[in-house]
Amino acid sequence: MFIYSAGTYWSSIHYIGQTPFYIKQGIYFVIAVISCLVVMNMKVLQKPKVWVFFYWVSIFLLIAVLIPGIGIVRNGSQSWIGVGSLTVQPAELAKITTLIYLSILLANGKAGQRIVQWKHFLVIILPSLLIMLQPDFGAVFILVAAAFLLLFIAQYPVKLYLILILTGIVGLVALIAAAPYRLKRIEAFLNPWADALGSGFQAVQSLLAIGPAGLFGHGFLESRQKYLYLPEPQNDFIFSIILEEIGLLGGMGLLLIFACFLLSGYKLALACNSQLHFYIICGLTTTIAIQACLNIGVVINLLPVTGVTLPFISYGGTSLLVVWLTVALVLNFSKE
Amino acid sequence: MKWVSKKSKKRLTWIAIAFVLYGVAIFVKLVYVQLVQYNELSTIAKQSWDREIPFNSERGKIVDRNGEVIVSNELAPTLYFMPSQNKEKEQVADAIANVLNKDRAAILKRLEQKVSIVKLAPEGQNITYEQAVEIQQKQIPGLYTGVDYVRHYPNGNLLARFLGFTGVDNQGLAGIEYEYDKLLTGSDAAVRLFTDAKGIALDNANDEWKEGKDGATLQLTINLEIQKNVERALSEAMIQNDADQALAIAMNPKTGEILALASYPTYDPANFAEVEPAIYNRNLPVFMSYEPGSTFKIITLSAAIEEGVVDLEKDQFYDPGFTMVEGARLRCWNRSGHKDQTFLEVVQNSCNPGFVELGQRVGSAKLLEYIHRFGFGKKTGSNIAGEASGILFTEDNFGPVEHATTSFGQGISVTPIQQMQAVAAVINGGTLYQPYVISKVIDPNTNEVLIQNEPIVKEQIVSEKTSSIVRNALETVVANGSGRHAYRDGLRVAGKTGTAQKVENGRYKDGDYIVSFIGFAPANDPEILVYVAIDHPKSALQFGSVIAAPVVGQIIEDAAPILNIEKQQEQLDKKYVWGDQLTTRLTNFVGQSPKEITTYMYPYKIEWHGTGSKVVEQIPIANSLIHEDDVIHLYLDD
Repeated sequence: MFIYSAGTYWSSIHYIGQTPFYIKQGIYFVIAVISCLVVMNMKVLQKPKVWVFFYWVSIFLLIAVLIPGIGIVRNGSQSWIGVGSLTVQPAELAKITTLIYLSILLANGKAGQRIVQWKHFLVIILPSLLIMLQPDFGAVFILVAAAFLLLFIAQYPVKLYLILILTGIVGLVALIAAAPYRLKRIEAFLNPWADALGSGFQAVQSLLAIGPAGLFGHGFLESRQKYLYLPEPQNDFIFSIILEEIGLLGGMGLLLIFACFLLSGYKLALACNSQLHFYIICGLTTTIAIQACLNIGVVINLLPVTGVTLPFISYGGTSLLVVWLTVALVLNFSKE
Repeated sequence: MKWVSKKSKKRLTWIAIAFVLYGVAIFVKLVYVQLVQYNELSTIAKQSWDREIPFNSERGKIVDRNGEVIVSNELAPTLYFMPSQNKEKEQVADAIANVLNKDRAAILKRLEQKVSIVKLAPEGQNITYEQAVEIQQKQIPGLYTGVDYVRHYPNGNLLARFLGFTGVDNQGLAGIEYEYDKLLTGSDAAVRLFTDAKGIALDNANDEWKEGKDGATLQLTINLEIQKNVERALSEAMIQNDADQALAIAMNPKTGEILALASYPTYDPANFAEVEPAIYNRNLPVFMSYEPGSTFKIITLSAAIEEGVVDLEKDQFYDPGFTMVEGARLRCWNRSGHKDQTFLEVVQNSCNPGFVELGQRVGSAKLLEYIHRFGFGKKTGSNIAGEASGILFTEDNFGPVEHATTSFGQGISVTPIQQMQAVAAVINGGTLYQPYVISKVIDPNTNEVLIQNEPIVKEQIVSEKTSSIVRNALETVVANGSGRHAYRDGLRVAGKTGTAQKVENGRYKDGDYIVSFIGFAPANDPEILVYVAIDHPKSALQFGSVIAAPVVGQIIEDAAPILNIEKQQEQLDKKYVWGDQLTTRLTNFVGQSPKEITTYMYPYKIEWHGTGSKVVEQIPIANSLIHEDDVIHLYLDD
């Protein structure tokens, strides 16, 4: 798993294309891998109490980030916290802690007890609401989706999901009504060409990167769209650039690697001998899978534009660190 | 695995399947975008990536029938600037303004435009090659030199009113430049510079060359040598006679190919803006429509011979100086009349009552049918821009008087090219050919002939026998009639003069004539047919019959060696007199008032000079022998 992750990452560095990003990402990579190695061997992290504590820490950070002066606003969202150039996104951390806390609660459920419990929802809703205030819809979506998939695995009734899907649709409408920029994104999604220079710009530019690449791509470093045509080519739209450079075949290769990651994650989960670890590994793997699905979906115009990074590949310290921490935790918990 | 329930495992499987299905969806979408939409998206993407520096293609050349260049192109580069690539706009403006010697402020204003690429027009458009080299040596970032051309006219004014001209962007605006613009225009080549979204050139991207295509070459039926001679002869006549305008056409009567086509005054197509639009928009040989006068008698004559209603040498006609048609007195140009004459003499004398008789013998419906069949009243299809149709009487208002005047060429309106088309048919053995001026369209790179025009036969109108009789009759007109000034020894020139009063607002315009002559040679087997018309000659010393006829004679004489027309021994002697009443004695007008003169309705073509109540001088003087087509100049006392 390491090898393929590292391999994928190795290529990502080159796609970034610009030296400062390249070096920074290199540093982040080293930090991430070292943290990963440390974290995957920390026995203390296997104690549930530690995660309850971390959960509240992340809640605290999520509140802190909302306070003007502490939280840093970027791209219209107050999602960053930190000093100088060293900034982190508490939401990234909250994703992990929430899912692990939820797993603990689920594993603690005794036989014969009602499966559906209000505290499960509370654990999910509290960080979700806080992240929504930033706002970072993408992160909330990933968190909620991963959590509910975890609850699904924990045998929540199917009926509940049908109700949830319905309320989800209602909620989506409400969200769009609340923030008009989301409606614009939906419109842009349905027909990006209608306003190719405005709301549909990102989608169109992404398609213009992917389309001309064809089966084999323009070749390594030969991306054209990365030259300021695509917004954040090193970040949210890195998959466009990858597709542009290595084409359909390369893209499918990357997709297969993600599929391997997902399936081997689930395989590890099934191999666990504790219900808690099963839940945790399932939850964490699912988080990364959902995030990848969301990112790729946006890039290829299958989903409306949402600012989500591509796990392992996108530029960004927190994102990278959290993804590697997640992997480390998966490995850590699977050791049992 | 005891702690993981089967249900949980099953649900996990469902989730995994859902993810895989999503992966398949991604695959399908990617296949669609990258393979199905590949071409479409590539085209759009390329357009957004590059900035094109145009390398304009060469506009098609225009050459004569032998490939001699009439219009070609001259390299005249155009400057382009990418504002995002150079912040030092002031310096750039200084440099350009210096070299081009143009307004610096105007250039700076263009440089500061917030667009991806600026064409520095008009200041930097079509600069000279030397200027372009000088600017390029300065190596100014962001400044590019695009290849561009302007039209080059090695023969200056030659053929100008037929050729037309091009605009600032090399687009055809008049004449054949306009009419054949699509063929002449190529597709422009360009260098594609790859830039980022802000227009900064990318060093590592290879610039692309977009292939262009030069415009097609137009090969005309025009013979450049003949054209030059025609224009020289015509411009001399213009000057000598102080005329308003003049036109000439030379044609191969056996094919309809136009060999020369001239209009005067002319202009320089490179500086078209300096002349009146009426000059460059009117190609006189096809545009002008006027009463043809006596040259039209050829049509009446041909119809009469073809219908077998006259024997030129045996049938007699008596001309008292006029003829009465439905109470209208139609005068002969010779007021005392030509008296007894054969119909051949009627032709030589250009006797109006004689032609009325011929027209009547043919019959009104039949004559009108011949006129229509000869192509009058509708465009010839010559494909020369701005052709007019002329005006004929309709069947309903073609009464006896109209029938009679039409017989000698009055009351109708025709174009020079229509007369050429009809007379060519009369003299070539009776076949009506469509006049044409474009011989071929050629691909300049492969020399492949894209379009090849061949002579188009419209119909057979008269027999070879009729044709031969008319040719002989017209040869006598030149040998000893009013066309004697077109006589050239050994060339057997034949033809007919014509003088037409111009019509303005439905009335004859006093003292304003178009003097013309249509002639061909050799009479036994015509190789060239020439028509010359001089509009409003004002020279007092020249007579009408000596204005147009010698021009045609000159043109034919010059063209003969070019067309390999050999001199013949058997010809009609110029001195040989066929008829006797070729001339008439001129009345003395001195001392008369204009009113008296107009009331008397003299058959002369009178041109008035000055104002006043009495004629103080007349040219020619009284009792001079004058010809049918001579113009009488009368000078009033004020």
